[in-house]
Amino acid sequence: MDVELAKPFIKAAISVISTMAFITPRPGKPFVKKNSVAQGDVTGLVGLTGDKNGSVSISFSKGCAVAIVKNMLGDDISDIMNDVKDAVGEITNMVSGQARAGLAEKGLVFQGSTPSVIMGDGHTISHMAKNPIMAIPFETDHGGFTIEFCFE
Amino acid sequence: MAMLDGFRDKDFLEQVTILNEIGSNKDIANLPGLMDLFRRPVGDTSIDFMVVNALNAVLSGNEAKAVEGLASGNAGYRILCIRAIGEYGFTSAGPMLTSLGEAETDPDQIQEILSALSRIEAPDALPLFRKHSQSPDAFTSALCVEMLGRLGDAASAPTLMAMVEGNETDENYERCELTTWKAVEALALLGTEETIAFLVEKLHHKNPTVRRIITDTLVHTGEPALPLLARVFETGGTDEKILAANLLGFIGHRKGADVLVGGLDKGLAGDANVRYAVYEALGRIGTMKGLICLMDGLKETDELILMAVVTGLELHVSPGVIKALTALLTKANDQSDRLARAVINSKAVRLFDALYEFEGAAAALIDALATSRDPEILEAFRDTLEEIGGDRAEEDLARLPQNVAAVRKALAADDSRSMLALHRSILTDLGFEPLTGANGQEAFAFVEAGEPVELVITDMNMPVMDGMELVEKLRATEGYENVPVIMVTTESESSQRTLAQKAGVTAFITKPFKPDALKAKILEVLGG
Repeated sequence: MDVELAKPFIKAAISVISTMAFITPRPGKPFVKKNSVAQGDVTGLVGLTGDKNGSVSISFSKGCAVAIVKNMLGDDISDIMNDVKDAVGEITNMVSGQARAGLAEKGLVFQGSTPSVIMGDGHTISHMAKNPIMAIPFETDHGGFTIEFCFE
Repeated sequence: MAMLDGFRDKDFLEQVTILNEIGSNKDIANLPGLMDLFRRPVGDTSIDFMVVNALNAVLSGNEAKAVEGLASGNAGYRILCIRAIGEYGFTSAGPMLTSLGEAETDPDQIQEILSALSRIEAPDALPLFRKHSQSPDAFTSALCVEMLGRLGDAASAPTLMAMVEGNETDENYERCELTTWKAVEALALLGTEETIAFLVEKLHHKNPTVRRIITDTLVHTGEPALPLLARVFETGGTDEKILAANLLGFIGHRKGADVLVGGLDKGLAGDANVRYAVYEALGRIGTMKGLICLMDGLKETDELILMAVVTGLELHVSPGVIKALTALLTKANDQSDRLARAVINSKAVRLFDALYEFEGAAAALIDALATSRDPEILEAFRDTLEEIGGDRAEEDLARLPQNVAAVRKALAADDSRSMLALHRSILTDLGFEPLTGANGQEAFAFVEAGEPVELVITDMNMPVMDGMELVEKLRATEGYENVPVIMVTTESESSQRTLAQKAGVTAFITKPFKPDALKAKILEVLGG
């Protein structure tokens, strides 16, 4: 059952990032991790509650995050750190919203928390769950990002 | 029909009210009107969205209509019906939905149909699930594989086994596939002797994640896995025996203890590592027979094994245990010294508390404690002594070394308490202050907290975060690029060494080892 939850998030991520940042991500082959951590330079994290409880994270490499900000804001970048934080938070929020709408169409209702953004080169995020974690790697021309899901 | 008469000419608020009412009364009479609005939308996004919701609500109470809708020529309405069938579990749709799925070629539509079929657990759909279990889309195939297990399709067992094996080839073993995860769970659900035997056989799968999933699944399977694990324990090689003993311990079933006790009696645990695993497992299970075996284990002379025995007994302190231990501790020979050290090094405070009453035993323990240089151990027993109180305890407290502050720190990660205790004692002997964690994540927390660590010792397989990932993370952390890391492995894990070396491990040590061998290894990596 949990695998079908992933699809709407992938669709939402592709749609949001290509619409907002004009970057088309290419999804790679999903895989399973038993370890708890997501690795990246900037991560947007949303907790989900409802039919199931869990968390979803999107971890961007530095290059990818900066490219997104540049494409979203053009030359209007004042403080790159703040803008990256804002952009990743905003994108995570939109992906979470759009994906939840997609899931609601299938009768799976979730509430999403407001996203948190974690920054720091090569940081790690722990999903608190015993179940295996699904990871979907994406490639863009500016570097990669990974979506991870974990549901109880 | 009356409610929707002239709907298009009404104003926005009236439209909202009407659709809300239909959504709550779910009256089937409104279906034709709603379908008309769905086919020819009014053009206002929020109203069109409400029409979809109202349709879903009406269908929710009318299984027959939802099933009928599968034959609709309107693709959008068909999807709506498919979703309603899944959402409300309309099982009568099984055959029709299945034939729809057989005729469908669009991958997205197939996914929708399979997902609805999985939610109603339609047995008719079995051939369809079989067919798409090999789909190139990982999510579709994973969903189908899961269903093969839930529908108990024993005929698919060979396919599922092939999936698990396919993830083990030289090109594929570095990542755990979605389908492998689901195939392992499905094989466990099938629960035949053949499938469980296969999982037991694959306990040494080349991919660490798959190994952990198999272990967890077998522990979850519980009793049915016991006879097979027993067979592995009785007939397998050293590594198989160790793994089987570990699993029997985690399952925690009384019958598991019987197998282990029987194994000890039959002389199957001649190898020190096997005995170690058996004692550790017996401690976890804790049956009367197991306890008697643990008491016999007090005769062991290997320090590591003795610590496993003591750690096991620490969980089951009883007057009988204390009486036997007191007798052994007061003998004042080599074995009583070893035993006292084992109690101290495994931080067995409950045993200590109970033994302290007997002066002879207390003296032996305090002698061992006084030589410890491990601040954490000293602290733990100091607390215990303070709680016990009285003149004797105060005198003993005064005997303990004060403020042994080691400046150099070392990190040790292992999920076995006795192994950790051994690492502690080795590291303190070498003048390190040991920081310990039961898995990679706990250990890494020290690094994140900014503890300066000069050396890392880690196990390979641990829950939550394994040794491999710990090393990768350390190497990616500033200041930890070159800190020596020693990884403790078993013989069977040697195939993983290449992966571990890539991750950045400095040196390996193979279990079983004598404490001196690890000491020598530590000095070697620090010197070099």
